[in-house]
This record gives sequence, C-alpha cells and structure tokens, in this order.
Amino acid sequence: MTVIVELFGVARQCAGVAKTEAQGARLGDVLVDLAGRFPRLAAECIDGSRLRHGYLANLNGARFIRDPATVVAPGDSLLILATDAGG
Amino acid sequence: MSTPGYHGCYLRVDVTSGESQRIAIDESALRNYLGGSGLGVYLLLREGAATADPLSPEAPLAFVYSPLVGSPLTTSAKFAVVGRSPLTHRINDSLSSSHFAIAGKRTGCDALLVVGRAKEPSILIVDDGQARLEPAGALWGLDCPAAELQLRARLGADYQVAVIGPAGERQVRFATISHDGRHAGRGGSGAVLGAKNIKAIAVRGTQRTAWHSPAELVALAKQLSEKSFGPATAKYRELGTATNLLVFNRLGALPTRNFQQGTFAGAEALSPEQMVLGREKTRASCAACTIGCEHIYGLRTTGEKSAGVRMEYESLFALGPLCNVGDADTVLAAARRCDELGLDTISTGGTIAFAMECVERGLLDEPWLQFGDGPSLLRAIEAIGRREGLGNLAAEGSRRMALVIGKDAIAFAPQVKGLEIPGYEPRALQTMALGFAVGSRGADHNRSGAYEVDFSESTDRRRPGLEAAHAAVETEDRAALMDSLILCKFLRGVFVDFFAEASEMLNLVTGWNTTPAELRQTARRIVTAKKHFNVLAGWKPGEDTLPARFFNNPLPGDPAATMTPAGLQALIEAYNTARGWTSDGYPSVEQLSGLGEVVP
Ligand code: SF4
Repeated sequence: MTVIVELFGVARQCAGVAKTEAQGARLGDVLVDLAGRFPRLAAECIDGSRLRHGYLANLNGARFIRDPATVVAPGDSLLILATDAGG
Repeated sequence: MSTPGYHGCYLRVDVTSGESQRIAIDESALRNYLGGSGLGVYLLLREGAATADPLSPEAPLAFVYSPLVGSPLTTSAKFAVVGRSPLTHRINDSLSSSHFAIAGKRTGCDALLVVGRAKEPSILIVDDGQARLEPAGALWGLDCPAAELQLRARLGADYQVAVIGPAGERQVRFATISHDGRHAGRGGSGAVLGAKNIKAIAVRGTQRTAWHSPAELVALAKQLSEKSFGPATAKYRELGTATNLLVFNRLGALPTRNFQQGTFAGAEALSPEQMVLGREKTRASCAACTIGCEHIYGLRTTGEKSAGVRMEYESLFALGPLCNVGDADTVLAAARRCDELGLDTISTGGTIAFAMECVERGLLDEPWLQFGDGPSLLRAIEAIGRREGLGNLAAEGSRRMALVIGKDAIAFAPQVKGLEIPGYEPRALQTMALGFAVGSRGADHNRSGAYEVDFSESTDRRRPGLEAAHAAVETEDRAALMDSLILCKFLRGVFVDFFAEASEMLNLVTGWNTTPAELRQTARRIVTAKKHFNVLAGWKPGEDTLPARFFNNPLPGDPAATMTPAGLQALIEAYNTARGWTSDGYPSVEQLSGLGEVVP
C-alpha cells in the first residue's frame, strides 16, 4: 500500500527530499519503511515505529496523528513536521 | 537583606523632573508575581496606570527583569516592557532579550519604571542605580541600529542600550523598543517612550544578586543546556521560526492577502529552505542562550555583509503573503526597514495589507498601494515610520484606520482589541482563534500558545470541542509563568513537567519552597491581574471577539474552515468558566482579593 509522504523543516533537511512515497497500512509501518531508506531522518525523527518527541504527523492536511496503529489508506498524504508551531 | 535572585526594589524615574526613587517591593509581592510580565502588571496596578492615557506623561512604562536573569539557566537573559498600549489601550507586555536584561538587573533593581515627559529629547542613563538624563542631541532622528551604535560609542561599551527609532519618536502606535537588533515589539511600547521624549535608555551596573543554592543551580543549568540541544528545539536551531511558512501553507493556515486566503502560491520561494540558496546566512543567539534560533539572511540586492536581516516567521508572513508579496529580497528589505525604523512587523504588515484591501475595494484612493507590489510595500513602511501621507493614518493601526475610513472597513481590519493578528489563520486554527479573542493584549500568539492544541491529535483544529478551551487555558498559564520567570518559550518543548521543573529552578535561585501547584496559582493570578487591569482600563466582554470577516465565511478551498459567532462564543464562555471568571469574563471578588494589595 503506497502513501505519499511530505516532509517539512528538519525532517525535510534530514531526508534530503520534500516528498517521497512509502509503504504501509498504518502510520508505524510507514515510519519503519522511511527509516530504512533515510538513515538521517531515522536518527533525528523516528524511533522504531514512532515519531520521536518533537515531531508529529498529519493525515491529508486535516488530522494530526501520532499513534503508530493509525490506519492510512492508499494515496493518503502523510505530512511529517515539527510539533512546535511557535513563531 | 533581600531574597536571593532579587534586589527587592524598583527604580522609579520621573523624567519630567529627573528625580528618581528606589521603592521597596516586599517579598510576598515578588513571590506572587515573580518578575517580567507578572511583576510588570503588579507594578502598573500599584501605580494606578490602567486609566492613564498611554501617551501622557502620567503613564508609566516598566522595564522588568526577573529572578532568573543573570543565572546560568539557558535563555534566561530576558526582560519585559510593560505599560498600557497606545494601540489597544489595554495591558501590554512585550518581551525582549539579551545583555540589556543582565546589565539592567545589575543596576541594583528588579525593574526600572519611567514616568513623566522630558523637556527635550533625552537619554535616560542608569549607572549602578543612579539615574540621570542627558540630551539626545544628534541621536534623535536616527534609525535604531545607528542610535545604538552611536550611543554606545558615546557612553562606552560597558553600557547596554535600548532605543527607539523614528517611528517611536513620532509615536507610531506600534513602534518598538530595540536592543541589539531585538525588539520589544508588540503593542507600541516605543511610542510610549517616544511620548516621554526618551530616545534611549542606557544601563550598566555591578550589583549582582545571590543565588540560594549555587552548586545545585549550576548543575541544573548544565542539564537544561544539554536538553536544549535535543530534538525539541531542532526546528529553531536548524531553520528558525520561518520554517512554519511551508507547514502553515500546506495546512491552509497561512494568512494571505489580508486574511482572504489560507494559502500563498509563492510560499516555496519565500521559505527559509529556499531563501538560504544563493545568499549568505548566519546564526546568532541572545546572551546566555544555547539554542540560537536567530537566522540572519543577506540581501542579494545589496551584497553588503552588514545587510543581514533576522527573519522570523511573523515578519515573513506579515510582509510577504499577507501583502501578497513573494519576492524574498523585498520581504527581507521590508523586515530590515521595519527594524531600522522601530516598527512591529506584524502590525506594520497587517495595517498595510488592510490598506491594500481598502484600495482594492475602492474605499481608499491610493492607487499606488497594491497587493503583490513590493515597491509599494517598501514605500508604505517608510511612510508609516515617518508618518507621511497615508502613513500618518496607517501609523494609528488598522482599527483606528478602519474607523476613519468607515463603510464596512472594520469588518476586515485584521485586529483584535486593536492589535493586528499574527500569522495563524483563525478559521484553520480555531483554538488559536479563541486565544486571539480572549488575549489580554489583543490578538497574540505569545501570551497564548493555543495553536499547540490545534497542532495535536486531541483536537479537530477546524471544529474544536469545548475541552479545547481548557487546553488553551493551560497554554496561557504556562506562558504567563515563562514570561515572568523569564525563560524563552522556544525552550518549552524540553520540559516534561514544566511547573515542577520551574519550581525547582526558582527554589534553587531564591531559597523559597514553591510547589508546582503554587506556581500554577501564580500563573493564574498573573493572568487574572492582567484581566483586572483591562477591566479598570475599560474592557467589556464584547471586545473578546474576532473581526466579522472570519464568521460564516469559509476559507477558499477549505469549506471545513468555517467559524460561527455562536461557536466562538461557546468557546469563550468555556474559557472564562475554566478560569473561574464569570461566563462573560469578569474575575470573582475572591480572585481579585488574591491579587494582593494592588486591589484596594
Ligand atoms: S531561542 Fe532564540 S529567542 Fe529564545 S533566547 Fe535563544 S536566541 Fe533568544
């Protein structure tokens, strides 16, 4: 199952890309797939099947999610960004 | 013998007469209000400042340090400038950083409170507790950076200075006070100082305060510094606040064309990720900070090394998308000019974007001022800073400008209580909308962190439940404590239990035995004290709202981003109830008596 992953800020810097595709039926699976392909992203943002403290995911620009068990559907956009939105 | 961390007094200077007095602050007031914003509102209430015209000689303006200033705790070199805002006529506490805080506290007082009006443009010098005035002379009229440079050259590098620019001299209602390029930015403190004929304040001193448990404090500070290098602050270190731009754009939460849209087609080109390409960028930090969130960009048009501009998200959004300007060099030049003139970038961008929409709607006959036109943005900034032409009206801020223009202009003036709205689209982030509506100083993202609730899995950001109001209160309480201790908010992500950790720090500095529960009460007292100030200043429940444009008018392309007056009102009532105030927002008699002797 393929989802589109959009990376922002430090996550983008670490991955070296703004957008990629990843495989998985749940948030945790997608993160594991990303971690395998982007070691710097894994080191900074991902801990196993979870996002590290300081990072958050968003599904399709609508709902913020963190629970690795959250189901994602084919074609969903998964945004990875910093939790802190302070300006 | 004063409490460790404090001098136990403030210096009250009347610049009409030049006389100064050291006035004791008793320990219970220090413990109840701490420092920074909290102690500032206490001092203002004590001075009876709520009804004084902010631009009159009677109006006090307080520069307030804190118990943590001068300690090894990271990000603690901060001070608050507290007064009644000439823009909102409500409480205004704007924070700034760095060596002025350290040197100011070493003058031997916990706050410097200025009243009066000097008979000629002057410099107020506080040298180890002794205050004197000197003529400003040729400094009057200078931009902020030049004034700072020349004053330090005149007095010596051991002085730290805070200055106003031409905007403050002309009492632009959103003029700032600048120290080392950082600004006490919001609400017009620069105009208050300008109305006092004070171009600059210079401080130096030798009087350090003791710490109750120095060895433990140093150990704790070391741990905190280590934590500050972690992922919770990576955003600030690596890219700075400007990295919000692309995130907000993707979420449809980036205010564009005076809040007519939530996305900006040119966002990518303005983002820090792109802006860094092909231009010089350096990083800097306030004194005593291990994070270093300041990202300073060179201007490609000038190529000067000295032309670096600190670019924060708020300046970027307000001078870019809000005015529909997408050229990075223009936005950088606009931000730099605001800093030089001493203008709050949010209010400047907001007021200009509002004027641009008035032109577009045929309400203002200034055809040169168009959305998307960089040169007209720069011309408008200059005109505001010098109060020339249209700039004289715009210098009053968007609310007063709308009232002069009439028709339905007030419906789309981007302000709450007169303070222009920061870069969080209220319809896309509706807990933040609540924070803006109830904010004591108007639309404010610093005293309320309600956007944190929107950026969480617990809330639907476009349809928050009433429980979001409780979470908004929590963010406001934490901000009240951070702004009074003072610690930088960019550190907040490193704390697991902020109230407990704050209590530990405060106890090591002061020797008190505060508990997390006490500090929660303290935070709530400070928020209530600000509300009390506002009630005395004329606050009425009806001003806790948003401009009409945001109601029953979904964001283009995002029908879910709709807000209704009834929906917002329900959140406001839930917020007031959670604070223990009446449902329309008045503190109880019991809460007022908890404010101490400042309530007769
Ligand atoms: S994080 Fe930024 S604003 Fe905060 S103290 Fe450090 S440099 Fe200053």
